[in-house]
Parts: sequence; structure tokens; C-alpha cells
Amino acid sequence: MQSTKTKEFIQQFQPQTLPTSLPNEVRELAMSALNILELPTTKWEEWKYSNLRPILKHQFQPANHAEIDNLAAYLIPDFEANVLVFVNGVYSKSLSQIGELEDTVSVTLLSELEGETAAVFSDYYGKITSPEGQIFSALNTAYAAEGVFIHAKGVVERPIHLLHIQHATAAQSVQMRNLFLVEKHAKVKVLESFHSSNDTPSFRNAVTEIFVKENAGLEYVKLQEEGEAGMMVDQTEISQASDSRVKTYTLSMGGNWIRNNLHFHLKGPNTESVLNGLYMLKDNQHVDNHSLVHHFAPNSYSNELYKGILGGKSTAAFRGKIHVHQPAQKTNAYQSNRNILLTDTASVNTKPQLEIYADDVKCSHGATTGRIEEEALFYLRARGVPMEEAQQLLIHAFGAETLDGITMDAVVGYIDQLITARFAGITD
Amino acid sequence: MLSIKNLHASIDDKAILKGLNLEMKAGEVHAIMGPNGSGKSTLASVLAGKEDYEVTEGEVLYHGKDMLDMAPEERAGEGLFLAFQYPVEIPGVSMVNFMRASLNSIREYRKQEPLSAGQFLKLMREKKEIVNLDDKLLKRAVNEGFSGGEKKRNEIFQMAMLEPSLVLMDETDSGLDIDALRIVSDAVNQFRSKDNAFLVITHYQRLLEYIVPDFVHVLSEGKIVRSGGKELALELEEKGYDWLKEGVGA
Repeated sequence: MQSTKTKEFIQQFQPQTLPTSLPNEVRELAMSALNILELPTTKWEEWKYSNLRPILKHQFQPANHAEIDNLAAYLIPDFEANVLVFVNGVYSKSLSQIGELEDTVSVTLLSELEGETAAVFSDYYGKITSPEGQIFSALNTAYAAEGVFIHAKGVVERPIHLLHIQHATAAQSVQMRNLFLVEKHAKVKVLESFHSSNDTPSFRNAVTEIFVKENAGLEYVKLQEEGEAGMMVDQTEISQASDSRVKTYTLSMGGNWIRNNLHFHLKGPNTESVLNGLYMLKDNQHVDNHSLVHHFAPNSYSNELYKGILGGKSTAAFRGKIHVHQPAQKTNAYQSNRNILLTDTASVNTKPQLEIYADDVKCSHGATTGRIEEEALFYLRARGVPMEEAQQLLIHAFGAETLDGITMDAVVGYIDQLITARFAGITD
Repeated sequence: MLSIKNLHASIDDKAILKGLNLEMKAGEVHAIMGPNGSGKSTLASVLAGKEDYEVTEGEVLYHGKDMLDMAPEERAGEGLFLAFQYPVEIPGVSMVNFMRASLNSIREYRKQEPLSAGQFLKLMREKKEIVNLDDKLLKRAVNEGFSGGEKKRNEIFQMAMLEPSLVLMDETDSGLDIDALRIVSDAVNQFRSKDNAFLVITHYQRLLEYIVPDFVHVLSEGKIVRSGGKELALELEEKGYDWLKEGVGA
């Protein structure tokens, strides 16, 4: 029997109407799953460090449409992109900035799927599932009302920026759903950024499914910059066909409580995958990154680098697993998690894991947690650089490495500044 | 310029400096020699403001100001420069950004306008010639992948950039081959003037053939046990430090 607590939790997200454009059978499956699934507790190994209490203590309203008048505050300077703006999970046509879309790409709102596009969408929608975070992805599949279907059919020059803003006066929830389909030989770059206009509690439950076909490429930057009461569960599932290349960047610079589940399914041989992450936490922030890379086929390469800088009483967890299946010979898989603690009250739990069933592979993993290097700090100060600036230089040097490989220069420049400014004014 | 009186310092409750006295005037080069463990590097670290060391007694006046009260960056602003024995590698911080942060911080401390990007790069080009520092090195992160000799030359390059009034050289000669030693010494001699002073800390007399000191002090067990002219260095070279211990004991 499902617990009352779980039942009540699910109930609050029930929308009054559901979009008719999404495939019904997928939704119905999710709804029946919602009748039996339980909310995870910290007794579950996978949720040991993600206590749901901050989310459970609120009653969230489904999001309402709202407009904002200071979009510029959320845009990335000099970033030439097609920008889709969602305020409280609702698409804002007036705020969005879409020039001529190249004919190599179509971008469709989930609420506006129809005809041929809807048929292609249905072939992929809800096709990758993972047991981890199931209740949240089921919740999303059951109730998501909006999101974006990006269908890249060739090389897309202009990046796509999905820009989400929370702008509410009462606690609200948003269920967003994306599907990216990158066809053979196609290439696309996506920035998805998350912001809030204020510190009203919000809960965002996002699911993104990604299919990257033979010899295709995707660069996907997720910038989590919500306000002090932003809570988020993000589930990203990526399926790679042979010879494809995917780079993901999960950058948590804001928000109150974040759980990121990032899963790679490397189905074809000769794939390349980069999983980079950066979390810079203050006060009582909590970020838990869970990644899982399934190597199913031979000759593939994956490299994961997550770095954290934690101040205040913030907490972080990292759990990364590389699973090399028996046929995946000649796999090269690397994983590293490195952390700097700025205070005695911040803490991080890290657990890199390898599970290898093939015998001819190169794999490594490692984790470190330490302080800002005193010798480097003294060297800078001995050269006249004041304490705070010296710390910022070292923090930036440590964090910025995770941006390597992002080819959207304006985005790198913007995040560079965020990294430098993140701990400005903090000297412990 | 620098006045050290009865300086006592310890690390982890272990006393290293035990009543050190030293007076330096502008235009002078002083050498401090001594056996391993005598406190030479501790003296350099304490003067530069390394927080691992605790000063338990005594005072250090620099241009008449109490230096022990100042943060390391303030001492640098006042004109102190430590050429490190083991320069630190700082991955991710480029030499250019490091030098710009350093120079402009010091200029700000002295209430001078920051240099423009053009002025700054011109200065870099000019000064790197002095120590024959390869352009490729300046494009790297601070000291990252530098050889031992390149690190030391980089220290002297930084000195030339910052134009300090008091230079502490902590075993700058260690790990230098004869060519690098010459380059470093030439740069120092070129920079010597009536307005600045050098405190050259070294274990060997070799460096002092190139940077000729006005005074040589021998440090032993945390105190200066003998001072003299440059000929004292030769005497030490010849007789070793044991001779000195006997001399003190006698």
C-alpha cells in the first residue's frame, strides 16, 4: 500500500487539465506507476544524502502564467542564440527571441505538437527509463504540461537557449519536459538556464530525454541559478548511437536544494561523452549529483569531471557510476570528483564507483576534498594580491576547468564571471 | 630601511629564531649564511608574513613601520619582495593574470593608477628580456611545468616587474646551473641601486661571487653569531660551518 504521505505529495501536483498533444498511453502508464511508487527516503542508498524534507514541508500550487518586465537581467550578454523564455513553466511568446530558425532544426512546444512532428515525437517520448528517481520522472510524465521538442536534422549553427524564470508570490511547482532528437550527422548546442525573480519557494521537476544518433553531436549546458528557495529534481537521460559525441555541463550556482540525475546510455561503439559539473554552494544550499554511464558497446570514451566549492553550511553529494558491460571492450572511462571546502561547517559526500564486466578496458576514478591551497594563497599574497582577491583567483582557477570544451564563448564568459563573483565578500 | 631587534619566532611551539638582530640600510646587500636548520628560511618566511610562524618576541621595523602587524600583501605593497626558495605552481592562473593582479594590487596600495593593458604588456615584454624568460612560459599557468631554473628566473622576473625596495632571496641559487646563476645575478646587479637593499640567504658561497655582498652574517641556532665583510663568506667556504661552532664555543 502506498503511504499517505506519498499520496498527498502526488496529489498536490495534479493539474486541472492535461495537454491533449502528448501521447496518452505513456501518460497512463506513468499515472498507474504513481499509484504504487513511494517517495524515497534517506534509507535508500541512492537517496542517502538527499533528504526530501525541504520539499515536503511546502504545499505547492501548480504554476500560473506570469509576465516579467526585466528579461535583460536573465539574458547572457552577447550570446547570439534563439531564446525560448518560460515564466513559471509557461512559454512566453512575447519575451522569446527567435530569429529565423535554420532549416536544419525544428523547435516545437509540447503543447503545440501536431501532425508529422507529433508522430516523430511519439517514437521517442518516454522511451528511456531509469529506475533511479522513478517517482519524480513518473510524476513528470503524468503531469508535465509544457516543454520543448528540439529536432536537429543537420548542423545547427545558432545555439538554442531555454531560459526558465520562476516568478511567483506563493510556493509553486513546475513540471517541465524536454526531448532532444539529434539526427545522424546533425549537431546542436543547447543552453538551459534556470532563474528566479525572488525567493518564493518553488519546486521544479524536470525530465529531459535526449537521443543522439550516429555521428551526431550535442553540447548541452545546464545552468542552475535559481534563488534561495528554489528546489529542483532534474532527470536527464541521454542515449548515444555509434560515433556520436555528447558534452554535458551541469553547473549549480544557485538554488536551495538540487538533485541531478544524469544518465548516459552509450549504445553504439566509438562514442565520446564528456560529463562536467561544477557546484559552488553557500549558506544552506544542497546539491546532490548522481551520474551513471552505461558503456554497452566497444571503443567508447567517457570522461567525467565534477568539482565543488562549498562555503557556509552547504552540503553536497556526488555519486558517479561507470558501468562497463561485457561487450564494451576497449572502453576508456574516467571519473573524478574534486572539492574545496571553504568552511568547517560545509560538507561533501562523494562516492565514485566502477562496475566492470569487460576485461580489456581503461578506467579510473578518484575523489579529493581539501582546502584552498595555503601555499598558493601565500604566494599570491606575498606578491601583493589581497586575501580576498587571491582566494577568488584560486577559486576561479579551480572551478573554471569544468568549462573546458564549451564552444559557446559568451556562455563561458558569463559563467566565468559568475565563478569569480560567487564568493566575493566571503573571507572566512 | 630594515631593523630587526631581538626576533624570536617558532613553529608548532618549536623555537627557531632566538633573538636575531639585523640592521640594513638602503643600497646595501647583506648575505645570511648558515648550516641547514639554522633558521635561514624561517627568517625569510617570518619577514614575508607567513602565518605558520608565530613571532613570540622582538620587533621588525621596515621604513620605520612595524612590519609584523602587516598582512603579507601589505608588506608587498610597502616594497618587500620574497624570491621563494620553492616557487609555487598555481594551475589555472595564467602568468599574465597573476602578474597583472599582483602589479595592480601593489599600485593600488600605493595609490597609483592601474596600468592599462597596453602599458602592462609592454612592461612584461621589457622585463622578461632581463632574465631571458621564454614567451611560452609567460603563456602558461604560474610556474606550471617550469624547470627548477625557470622557476627561479621567474622569481627574478617578478622582482623586476614589481621594483621592490627590499628583496629577500631565499636560496635562490639552489637548483641553478652556472648559466642560470649568471642570468639571475646579472639581473639582480642591474637592479641594485642606492635606493634598494638585498638580503641574500644562501647555504653556499658560490652565489656571493656573483652578487657581492657588503656584509655577511652567519646564522646558527636562530641567532647571528658572526658578522663581517665579504671575506667572511670565503672563510666559511674554506673551513666549513663546524669551525664556527667551535669558534663560538671557545
